[in-house]
Amino acid sequence: MEATDLELVERVRSGDDEGFRLLVERHSRGIYRAAYRITGNAADADDVVQETFLRAYRALGRFDGRASFPTWLHRIAINGSLDLIDARKRREGKINDGEDLSLLPSSHATPDRVMHGMEMQRAVARAMERLTGNERTAFVLRHFEGMPLEDIGKVLGTQLNATKNTVFRAVKKLRAHLQPYTGSLV
Amino acid sequence: MNHLSPDELVLSYYGEPGLGAGRAEHLQQCDVCRDELASLSVFLDRVTPAEVEEPAGDYEARTWDRLQWRLRGQRRTSGTWKTWLAAAAMIALAFLGGALWKSSTRRVVTSSSVATTTTAPSVDPAAHQLAESKSRDRVLLVVVGEHMGQSERVLIELTNLTASGSTDITTERDRAQDLLASNRLYRTSALQRGEESVATLLDELEPVLLQIAHAPDQVSAEELRAIQKRVEAKGLVFKLRVVRADVDRDTAASTRPTNI
Repeated sequence: MEATDLELVERVRSGDDEGFRLLVERHSRGIYRAAYRITGNAADADDVVQETFLRAYRALGRFDGRASFPTWLHRIAINGSLDLIDARKRREGKINDGEDLSLLPSSHATPDRVMHGMEMQRAVARAMERLTGNERTAFVLRHFEGMPLEDIGKVLGTQLNATKNTVFRAVKKLRAHLQPYTGSLV
Repeated sequence: MNHLSPDELVLSYYGEPGLGAGRAEHLQQCDVCRDELASLSVFLDRVTPAEVEEPAGDYEARTWDRLQWRLRGQRRTSGTWKTWLAAAAMIALAFLGGALWKSSTRRVVTSSSVATTTTAPSVDPAAHQLAESKSRDRVLLVVVGEHMGQSERVLIELTNLTASGSTDITTERDRAQDLLASNRLYRTSALQRGEESVATLLDELEPVLLQIAHAPDQVSAEELRAIQKRVEAKGLVFKLRVVRADVDRDTAASTRPTNI
């Protein structure tokens, strides 16, 4: 029978690194997917996976099992993703600097066509890039992962009202950015 | 009764509590609000996650391969790497400053060459100085912004911990040790450049980082509460956010092309 996460954690705590290998193999793909949704690319997501497990290994003594192990890992990964987004945006100088012309639909794309195609998804991805790190994370967690606002607040370290406002801002911005694509339908 | 606000409609779409009985009832009865909610629902239903670029089939094994070397390296070098951190930060700063200075200089030289068509290209020392100064400012803004973001997250993680029994804070402690070295460096630089709000905040941050950096592996509930109280009393997370937002704006402004 397969060992549970908690059993593996106990094995690592008692000095058995093989237990950690099993945890990495069990959860690295899930962490990669979550990080990809926030960072938006494979290379960054892969970096987040490495950093997440490195931090988790160092903090394993503190894992108390109140949250599930994947939830705990996700929280580390989200913080790592935010660090990375912040760093990337600053280096590229793309910090809330207004509208992005690339968000406008291409001339040959009519709303009818794009709504049912990949272009909408690409537009969503580009619109997500325009959000701040906190807005993107709050939106990803609420909208894609279905996490309640209260739990999102714990991840971001914000009060409930501030968390709500972060999600509201994200929705408002996305709606404005994607309006050219959705205008005729909503 | 007023119609639901856009924010209330978002809460309603996600089925989050907090709408209030009166507002929920209004939504049931009001055609305008129901239409608005339907419109929002159509939009949000279309916002689907980007397709994840799936890694190769052996991703898990490769991840472990790379990770185990880093875990070994971490154990072997943990006693000495912190000593090198401040030096590495200085070198990185100098390197970035140099690279940006060169790139700015190249732009200045190019524009001078275009402007002076009858004479040999010459470099205006004042323009040089300005470009150099701008590059340094930008480097400082970038690294300080990152530093604040990382500090903010360490403080958030600590304030989120439940103070009961003894708690292992080695991860936060190690990160605080990293941040402490760079905090001093950035505070000095901010002071030299007259960035008073940044310098003041880094000055307030330093004793807290110091306290965390010198904490034992396991802190008691009382010790953890003391750290949390200190962070909260100073409103550090909020201040970091506010100043970081200013730094972000300045960074964006410093990268925006100017019309000459």
